[in-house]
Formats: sequence, structure tokens, C-alpha cells
Amino acid sequence: MDSDDDFMSDASSQDFLDTQGSDDESLEDFGEELDGGFSQDKDIIAHSKKPYEVDFKVLGPDDIVREQNQQVVEVSAILGLPPESAAILLRFGRWNREKLIESYMDHSERILEEAGLGTTVEFTPHTQVISGFMCDICCEDGDDIETYAMRCGHRFCVECYRHYLSQKIKEEGEAARIECPAEGCHRIVDSKSLGLLVTDDLKDRYQTLLTRTYVDDKENLKWCPAPNCEYAIDCHVKQRDLQRIVPTVECLCKHHFCFGCTLNDHQPAPCTLVNMWLKKCEDDSETANWISANTKECPRCHSTIEKNGGCNHMTCRKCKHEFCWMCMGLWSEHGTSWYNCNRYEEKSGSEARTAQARSRASLERYLHYYNRYANHEQSAKLDKDLYLKTEKKMTSLQSQSGLSWIEVQFLDTASQALQQCRQTLKWTYAFAYYLARNNLTEIFEDNQKDLELAVESLSEMFEKPVPELAKLKVDILDKTAYCNKRRVILLSDTAENLKNGEWKFNVEW
Amino acid sequence: MSLCINRLQEERKQWRRDHPFGFIAKPHRTAQGVLDLKKWECGVPGKAKTIWEGGLFKLEVTFPDEYPTKPPKCKFTPPLFHPNVYPSGTVCLSILNEEEAWKPAITIKQILLGIQDLLDEPNPESPAQAEAYNLFKKDRVQYERRVKQVVKENPAP
Repeated sequence: MDSDDDFMSDASSQDFLDTQGSDDESLEDFGEELDGGFSQDKDIIAHSKKPYEVDFKVLGPDDIVREQNQQVVEVSAILGLPPESAAILLRFGRWNREKLIESYMDHSERILEEAGLGTTVEFTPHTQVISGFMCDICCEDGDDIETYAMRCGHRFCVECYRHYLSQKIKEEGEAARIECPAEGCHRIVDSKSLGLLVTDDLKDRYQTLLTRTYVDDKENLKWCPAPNCEYAIDCHVKQRDLQRIVPTVECLCKHHFCFGCTLNDHQPAPCTLVNMWLKKCEDDSETANWISANTKECPRCHSTIEKNGGCNHMTCRKCKHEFCWMCMGLWSEHGTSWYNCNRYEEKSGSEARTAQARSRASLERYLHYYNRYANHEQSAKLDKDLYLKTEKKMTSLQSQSGLSWIEVQFLDTASQALQQCRQTLKWTYAFAYYLARNNLTEIFEDNQKDLELAVESLSEMFEKPVPELAKLKVDILDKTAYCNKRRVILLSDTAENLKNGEWKFNVEW
Repeated sequence: MSLCINRLQEERKQWRRDHPFGFIAKPHRTAQGVLDLKKWECGVPGKAKTIWEGGLFKLEVTFPDEYPTKPPKCKFTPPLFHPNVYPSGTVCLSILNEEEAWKPAITIKQILLGIQDLLDEPNPESPAQAEAYNLFKKDRVQYERRVKQVVKENPAP
């Protein structure tokens, strides 16, 4: 039953991704069509993908350079341009090959001009000594100065050119769009010219920067955001799919993150809601809520007033206006009915009261979800401690109970399951905050409750002193498996409904 | 550093040989009478047939040690009423911005001509002061009246 379900959803999500990606890649896959169809079949048979998982590939630094060069070589062959020019064109077209080739075929001159290449293409760069030359940058003149000009003809001395390039590369971190040093000239310095002019260490830096722009430019590539991680992820989930998919990917460095927004894994909540939630928690919108729940404005000068005691006779500190806290009316109209406003039931008064009640209720609703979210986040922050503690526990359990290393691994598995489930639970609360009330939401909350109960009881067992742990091994193993299973169910359920657009939200996004 | 001074000496020579009519550009002379090549006193006249005609606007051009790799800083003294001039007097112009269109081959002459163009063609995309920008956007009549006032206060000789 379970596996059947998986199989179905797997096939459909595969279809979905494929149709999304096809427009960009029709040509790219041309040579591999046979292969592609084959591996797809194999994929479905080999591992059953969960509905909340997406296809992705991890690329190392070498893979990125290789991919890049391969495309440059291909485009250079198709268009009959030297590779360094093809590279500039590709960068200009943000690596969208098909569109680039098409528009190049239509109006090549304009594309070349816009990309900063000009039209004269055959050219081997070399420096030259020209008599009577004066460099426009350093104003040196003399008949023995080495000079260089790109095809635009703007000639400067090699010294200045080199200085200019190294400034751009080293200080400004620029690579793909370095222009000719002449005023108003938008010709791009190509890699051949650059190779002729700068030192080797700069060439390396230039190459690194180019690789960086390659990943930044391609929509299907993203850097892993973990510190010092050099890998990039290749995933074909488009920006417009993010309403229906939460594309969590895992880098080779073990970092789990969302391919859509590069934040830490936030399944099951979609990126937009995550963004809204984080913003809500971050900015002072809740302070404003508190203010509206606990204070009133002076009817005359609109200063914010919190009543912290005393009678209903208010005198505004600022403007000395006297009014009744209950009905907000003029105090002078109250006559002698002090301390007990008999205009309480009037329309204006009751309207003000319902507005206040509503504001208070929404604040409480927010706090309900926020507290649970924050609780799991706090636990997630303690992950590192927990993990270190686990390691210690594992060694002491080994020495105390005579279990082997392999036999105490269950603690490590449990700790990992705990971390993962808490991360998921945390985001279920942000997600639930934006859900409208209906049957699906009830089911979701049941799933959430189930997972949460399981996680809490696993957590409780996990905290037990070492001597008891050996006896609890089977229980912990069971609970761990149960937690993981419940997590998969919850995520599958939300992902399916998200894909089919079944969720009803209480906000527009 | 020597590149900076060499280039400025050459700029000075070229300016003395030939410069656009009505413009002023000369290195600052300190109290001891020494020329400071890295600080120039300049004047930009308002273009003929514009509301800026008849004015001469003084500015201070300061060159960093990294010049001409980095652009000089141009500052109107006193600060000028203009949408692209900061309250401090500093000019906001793409060719004076290192990250934008600055190129080492841009000369002082080109900079001053660029600033003259900017006077009558403000760039509403990058406002630098609220007063002139708001008037320019909302009340063109009042804006032009203010400009004419500024021209009267800074007459060309």
C-alpha cells in the first residue's frame, strides 16, 4: 500500500519536473536522449523517491569548471567564434545557450556589439611599440613604451593596462564584465587579452571569479551556503515552482538547505511563507499588536496611553485633555457618574471593545505558534551540544555495559532523528500559523501532534542516565524508527497537498 | 603615487594649453604658496540657453593617491541646490563612481563638462538631496525660480 503510493507520486513528480525543465534543455539533452530515458526508468526502479524529495546533483569545483568549458567549446564550434569570444557571449547571455544561439543567428552584429565584442573577430592579441605614443592614463610618452589595445583600438601602455586589470580583479572582484579603460567604451576585456597582460596569480583569481559568476548566473545552480563549502548544487526546480514545492537538498558537506531560498531546510513550509514568518518574528509588528491590545490613544492629541491603575478619569499628560477611559468621551459630559461610566453600552464603546478583543486574540494566536516554533528552534540550536553529549554517552555506555561500538550506534541514530524531527516540527508551526481552518488542517495537526509526542518521548528516553540506556535500547530503537516514519508521513502529506494546491491559507502569497 | 602626480602634472599642462571657455581649473595654492596638485579649485559655468546660464559654480576636486585608478571627489563649495548634489556639496555622477562608469582614461576636462551637462539634466534616478529633488519632481516652476536665484548669487564674471 505504502510502496504503491510512493510509486505513483514518484512518477507524477518526475513528470512535473521534466516538463518544467524541458524548454531550457531540449538541445542540451539532444545527444543523451537515449541515455536519459534509460536512466529515468532505472531511477524509478532503483529508489522510490518520497513526494517531498527533489532531484539534484552536487558539483565540485572541478565539475563546475568542466561544465563551463564544455559549453564554451560547444558554442564556439556552433557559432564559429574563438572560445574566448564565445565565453564572453555566454556570460553576456547569462549562460542561456539556446536563446543566445538563436538571437545570434538572427542579428549577430547587434549581439556582438551589446556583449562588448564588436564585429571584427579574427585577432591574435599582442603588445606593440608605437612611435610618438602617449598613454592617456599615465601621460607617459616615448618611443620605447610597450602598448596594448583591444579590437576597439583604445591604446594604453601595458603598465597602466595591467594596473587597471589587477585593480578590477583584486580589489573589486570583477571578472566577467571588465570594460576597456577608455571613457564610454563598453568593450569587455576577453580572457586572451587578460592572459597576455597579467601575472599568473591574478589569472587564477580571475578564473575563480569567473566560476563564481557561472554558478550565480545559472538558474539551476546554487552554491552551498555552508561556511567554506566549495560545492554547488544542480537542481531544476524553478523559481515559479516554489509555490508548490519545497526543494530541500543535501550537499556533500552534509548541509541540508532549501534550493529555493538557500535558508536551512524548512520543510514543510514553502519559501514565501517562511520569509513572511521570519519577517513577522523579526520586525516589531508584534510590538504594535501589543500596543493595540493594551493601550488607547488620547482622543485629542493621539498620544499612546497605557492605563496601569486608577479610575476612569484620564487626564492626558501631554495635552491635559480630560476623558473617560471607558467610553473615550469628554469627562465633563459625565456629570457626577464618576468611577462608573454609564455610557458603557453605547455603540462607540462596544465597537472599541470588540476591536480590542480581536487584536488580543490574534496576538495570542501568534504567540501560540511562535512559542512552539521557538521551542523547537532552541532545541535545534542545542543540537551541537546534544551531539557531543551523545558521543560521550556512547563511549561511557561501551565501558559500563560491555556493549560493542557497533551496538551503541543506536544512540547516534536516535540523536540524528531527534535533530531532524525537531527541525521539521519547528517549521510545521510556522506553516500552521498561515493555514486556514478546515479538514486538511485538522489532519495536519493530528500528524503534527503525533510526531511531536513521539519526539518528546524519545527525547525523554534519550536524556536518561547512562546505566538505564542499555535497558532502553529496544525502546529507543523503536521510537527512533517511529519518529522517522511519522516525519516522512507528515512531510509526504504536506508536500502532496502543496503540489496539488489543496492547502487553504489565511494570507495571500 | 608617482603615477598620480605625473598624470596630474600632465593634466595641468593640457588644461593650460587648451580648455573649454568659461571653465576654471587650477591646483590649490597653500598658505605657504606651495602648489597642491591633489586638490584643484574649479569652476563650472551654466550652459547657454538653460536656466543655469550666467552662473559660475565653484567646486573643489580632490584626487586620491590611487588616482587615476580611482576617481577624484568633486564637491561644490558652497553646496549647490541641485537634485544630484548631496547636502555636503558632493556630486553624484556615474562617471565619478568607481563602481559605475569611472575609467582611468577620463580627464579633468571630461569630468567638468560632465558636471556642466548634469546641471541642466538632473538624473531623477539617483536623488542626493531632498529639497531640490522634491521641488524638481513636484513643482517645476518653484524649482526653476530657485535655480535662477542660485545663478544670481553665483554670477559668472
